[in-house]
Amino acid sequence: MLFGRKHKNPIKIADKGVVEWKYTTCGYCSTGCSIEVGLNKTGDAVASRGVGSAPVNQGKLCLKGIFEHELFKSAGRGSAPLLRDKRHDPFKAVSWDQSLDKVASEIKRIQDKYGPDSFAIVSTGQIMTEEFYTLGKLSRGVIGTNNYDGNTTLCMSSAVSGYKRSFGSDGPPGCYDDFDDTECLLAIGSNLPEQHPIIYWRLQQAMEKRKFPLIVVDPRVTMLAQQADIHLPITPGTDLVLLNSLAHVILDEGLEDKAFIDSRTSDYESFARLVEQYDPITSSRICGIDEDTIRNVARTYARAGAAMTIWTMGINQSTHGSDGVVGINNLNLITGNIGKPGGTSLSITGQCNAMGTREWSSCSGLPGYRALENEQDRKDIANYWGIDEEFFPKKRGLFQTDIFPAIETGQVKGLWLIATNPMTSMTNTPRIRKNLEALEFLVVQDAYADVETNEYSHAYLPAAVWAEKEGCFTNTERRVNLIRNVIAPHADSKPDLWIFNQMAKRFDQGKKIKFPETAEGVFQELRELSKGRMLDYSGMSYEKIEAQGGIQWPCTEGDETGSPRLYTDGKFQHADGKAKLIPLPFVDNNERPDEDYPFWLNSGRVVEHFHTRTRTGKIGNLNKFSPTPYMEMNPDAASELGIEHGSYARLTSRRGDAVVMVQLTQRVPPNMVFVPFHYHDCVNRLTLGLLDPHSRQPAFKQCGVHIEPAADQKAASVRNKAARTY
Amino acid sequence: MFKVRKDEPGYAFVPKTDAPEKNRYGKFIELIRESDVLAGKSLNINGDNAVSENPDRYKQHGFYFNADNCIACHACESACSEKNNLDPHLAFRAVGYVEGGTYPDYHRMNISMACNHCDDPVCLKGCPTRAYTKFAEYGAVLQDPDICFGCGYCTWVCPYNAPQLDPVQGHVEKCNMCVDRLEVGLKPACVSACLAGALDFGVIETKPENREQLETQIPGFPNPEITHPNIRFQQTKSLPREMTRPDSMPIRYERDEQGEGKYKTKVRVLKKDRQWNLKLLNSRENPLVLFTLLTQGAVGIFTILFLASWFGMTGASATTHPLLYSAVLFGTVAVQVIALVLSAMHLGKPHRFYRGFNNLRYSPVSREAAGIVVFMNLLGAYAVLELAPILFPQLLTWMPASLVDTTKAFLGWGALISGPLSIYLMYLAYRIKARPFWDHWQTLTTFMGNTLVLGALVIGLIYGTTLIIDGQPVATFYQWLAWPVVVGLVMEGLGLYVHARQLNRRGGEGAASQYEQTTRFGKSYLTRNAALLITIIAMAGFGFSSLEGWLGLAVWSGLSFLIIATMLVGRALFYVLVIPTTMPGAFFWRNQGFEEHARETGLADMPQVGVVPDSH
Repeated sequence: MLFGRKHKNPIKIADKGVVEWKYTTCGYCSTGCSIEVGLNKTGDAVASRGVGSAPVNQGKLCLKGIFEHELFKSAGRGSAPLLRDKRHDPFKAVSWDQSLDKVASEIKRIQDKYGPDSFAIVSTGQIMTEEFYTLGKLSRGVIGTNNYDGNTTLCMSSAVSGYKRSFGSDGPPGCYDDFDDTECLLAIGSNLPEQHPIIYWRLQQAMEKRKFPLIVVDPRVTMLAQQADIHLPITPGTDLVLLNSLAHVILDEGLEDKAFIDSRTSDYESFARLVEQYDPITSSRICGIDEDTIRNVARTYARAGAAMTIWTMGINQSTHGSDGVVGINNLNLITGNIGKPGGTSLSITGQCNAMGTREWSSCSGLPGYRALENEQDRKDIANYWGIDEEFFPKKRGLFQTDIFPAIETGQVKGLWLIATNPMTSMTNTPRIRKNLEALEFLVVQDAYADVETNEYSHAYLPAAVWAEKEGCFTNTERRVNLIRNVIAPHADSKPDLWIFNQMAKRFDQGKKIKFPETAEGVFQELRELSKGRMLDYSGMSYEKIEAQGGIQWPCTEGDETGSPRLYTDGKFQHADGKAKLIPLPFVDNNERPDEDYPFWLNSGRVVEHFHTRTRTGKIGNLNKFSPTPYMEMNPDAASELGIEHGSYARLTSRRGDAVVMVQLTQRVPPNMVFVPFHYHDCVNRLTLGLLDPHSRQPAFKQCGVHIEPAADQKAASVRNKAARTY
Repeated sequence: MFKVRKDEPGYAFVPKTDAPEKNRYGKFIELIRESDVLAGKSLNINGDNAVSENPDRYKQHGFYFNADNCIACHACESACSEKNNLDPHLAFRAVGYVEGGTYPDYHRMNISMACNHCDDPVCLKGCPTRAYTKFAEYGAVLQDPDICFGCGYCTWVCPYNAPQLDPVQGHVEKCNMCVDRLEVGLKPACVSACLAGALDFGVIETKPENREQLETQIPGFPNPEITHPNIRFQQTKSLPREMTRPDSMPIRYERDEQGEGKYKTKVRVLKKDRQWNLKLLNSRENPLVLFTLLTQGAVGIFTILFLASWFGMTGASATTHPLLYSAVLFGTVAVQVIALVLSAMHLGKPHRFYRGFNNLRYSPVSREAAGIVVFMNLLGAYAVLELAPILFPQLLTWMPASLVDTTKAFLGWGALISGPLSIYLMYLAYRIKARPFWDHWQTLTTFMGNTLVLGALVIGLIYGTTLIIDGQPVATFYQWLAWPVVVGLVMEGLGLYVHARQLNRRGGEGAASQYEQTTRFGKSYLTRNAALLITIIAMAGFGFSSLEGWLGLAVWSGLSFLIIATMLVGRALFYVLVIPTTMPGAFFWRNQGFEEHARETGLADMPQVGVVPDSH
């Protein structure tokens, strides 16, 4: 009341009346932030906040986490199981018993008629580790289909494959603390400020304390590229050439860590022979980065006492994604940057529990980083589950991205989708629609009844979401963190664990195997199965995880806490204990822009949305920042085509078309456009998605499109609105 | 008191640093001494009467924004909305940006902005209800929605778009500096949430750790001289010469290379073609279009009527047609009442209209309202004194006739003075620095000109008809009346001419308004100007002619129709064209162009789009 009023009025500030805070872990990306959800007197979730003492986020949250409590009451949730005979019939709400009986009988019918692998299961990176493990047990040990995989094929399978090829096992060797020790950070196709804001904050804090060179490779001038000391605006799809060329310079100038190469790697000779071909001059003509910059970056990286590389989808979602990861590993192996503070190959993962599914879901093999191809692994798991070892196939079946084409060829007749939305997330969705139409039986298990893929389902099973249940997530730096049950599941929705357990009871084989009722009971099995392995959970318990704000594996029984890094002893998981240097010849098989389709189409994420928007699209305080699809386009290119800022444009590719609102910005080059991937019936109607030969991950970010102004702007706006029910 | 958690991280606490005694504008940073009567009092937050012991409690605090670091992650504004429980269409803090350069030499500068708790809070001064208070505690400028009646004037005068008019609730709300957190030493929620080392907070004129600058401006930020805002900036990274906004405002920022190297606001020319866009003239300010014109009409009618007999136009005098004279007076009062009701309907909370007079000391809105009400009351009383003796001849006989006459004269002359005075006060309410399009004397010439024109036209219509019915000649009457119309129209026209030229010369948001006026509304604008010119000539010609009888009346009516239609278009343009000195928005969020599109296409019907649909 300095001035304004004579008498001070009382001040009113919103008070949400939180009486209790419950510990959980964020269910969006894989950063692994610890969140407390605030409950009011009536038990409603009304607030979220970062856990102050959590090692990952130290009290911070990104905008999605800040509003995560609003998830529980968001629109479109499924409240009862639904069944219908044909996909054009209306759904009927039924009891859980009816729906589970129907699904089980359809699985049996299809398997009896067409063989065990004709029923496929595609899961996710969204549910809890205990649920993944249980689903794996159900799929591999009970239902017995070998066509079982996760949608993580769309995001992390190149990283998995690359880690396996280089180090002999999956598992990111580094951690966020490496930012505090590194002397040079190379980020390739990773835009932390937008995709992993909390990891960016950790990096920013580290740079604030001690400045080190930040080198960003990205065809767009992303927010991270803008903060970079050196930005390499690379030609799409050519990162492998750049990586080979960096290695070329390092070897050519003798900047490599010879001792490390000699003692800890194998196959140096063939690798060196291959990179010999990638001199900076030749490479610069392919990747669009001039030779001086290539040399400068190579020298900076090699001379740093400790240097690390992070990457995300820019590397993974490519026809040579796996090779790109191996190329990064090669770079770090020849410079001795694995297993030491500040020196690492750290894949920045996408989904909250992509790591959990890699570790425990049995999608690509058997639980605990075990392989179907390994006899001992098959034996161990068969014994532990109490089933006949011969029940397991001896080779993994189809990848997720091969399961959909297998519907076309008639190999797959039935499909169970769990917390995934291929109608929006897969490349070339016109093809996916045809695939889904051809199914005899499709089960969609999801927290949201309005998930677009439900359009094609015969059965819908409503699942609980995030903290409506209990369990663990593993984050990018191998930190296992706990989600406590905060509130009861919405309406008649059920935790995925419960659904899997009930399903198992409907199969003869399922009655023979023990399926623990509680998540903590399942966790006990994980501890036992991981004892003595690199992926070791045996020293963890729920209480311990919560107390420490997450624990990084390996954490052996008796250990106080986990281990920040892998391979610190120089021992890798290949049989010879060494890491492999792998020669990576570059083959350019991308669909490149041409006369008919003259623009590169790039896609990616925005900070306010998560994946296919089934969650963030309904939370107004997130969705409002980009409520409809848009395209970043270079103003110079747009003016040639007569396309205006804020108007609608139509994109066409060899697959289909899409309508987007145009945002003109010099952030993208004149021959490229960028469209966020979150929106239904949009960018993935255009994408080609050639598959990586190793990881089967699709190349989302490289194809050609044609652009024109939408002739009828009004019709375009109607079409755009019609595609958005949320 | 706000609960501090046991594991509250260190970054969340306001650091103790030494601040200078005075800020750069010469104001004491310590707002009151500890011995002051204002010291040691509770802020009474949510009924809690505890008193904080924060040693810096009486020092002016402010935000610090490091534009080099902001990544537009929206964590600050989300933390704010979460804490203050805001619906998607509102935000006390918002992130926008400006960008420039050519790929790959592209630069985007993000700006996160909330309330700047100014030294000179124009919101507080402008608010007619006294809903604002600048507290001695932290120098926070707080607004009480329970007092506010939702006129939105604070949103007009604030250069930073800080006060948020909520069309759903019908009141304004704004950033409260998280004084509840400050009382326990915690930084505001937005600052604690920052993920990029961009947003900070502390005693004003103190630099956060690791920061180099303490600037008062960055490109896109309005001139700090308007309000002396309590925000300081760092912006050390080189930016391109020209920066543009992603929203629909036709504005860009250009570095003045020859001058001080500062960024100046310029017009962003996108299209040069002239359009009509008559539909867009229909805006949420429609009630104000009518309110201002009706009020000016009422003042004009009375002024012309009152002065007519003074100029020998006895046909319009009280003596010739006493009943009609009173009827016109009452009609004028009725017009004024309707105008006031319309203006009250424009409020978010019309039932609180009476609070409009609470801030006569500072608020131009209070003064405008008071001026109009004084005029209306004097006029009403005058009308009663005119009518009463006619209807009830006995009513005033107890008073000496001279006293009645004196009172009537006093009331009449009072109304004659207070009428134009209230129009002048109305004009002052539009002299807003944050709205350069209005901030010009042209607003006065237009308001006054329109007053004269409307008054003369209406009197002409009423008494022209009467004179003809009475079988009297009308030519001289019209010849006399034509002059106020011509003078009024010329006043308006001259003002508009000078205004247009000066807007372009001054640049900034005013020039952008002028650009919009000549392009997006180009055809409407030119037609209005042409109509103005034609009616000036026609009216002047009419003034020299001697058209009699019904023909004279018909021409007068025709011209009146044309002039009033022109005036309506002109006034609508006045409201829709204003471009305030607000912060840059983003592509969807805080982009007026997208908001209009969302309303038009029905996207706004989904609440998660964050745009409130049209209420009509």
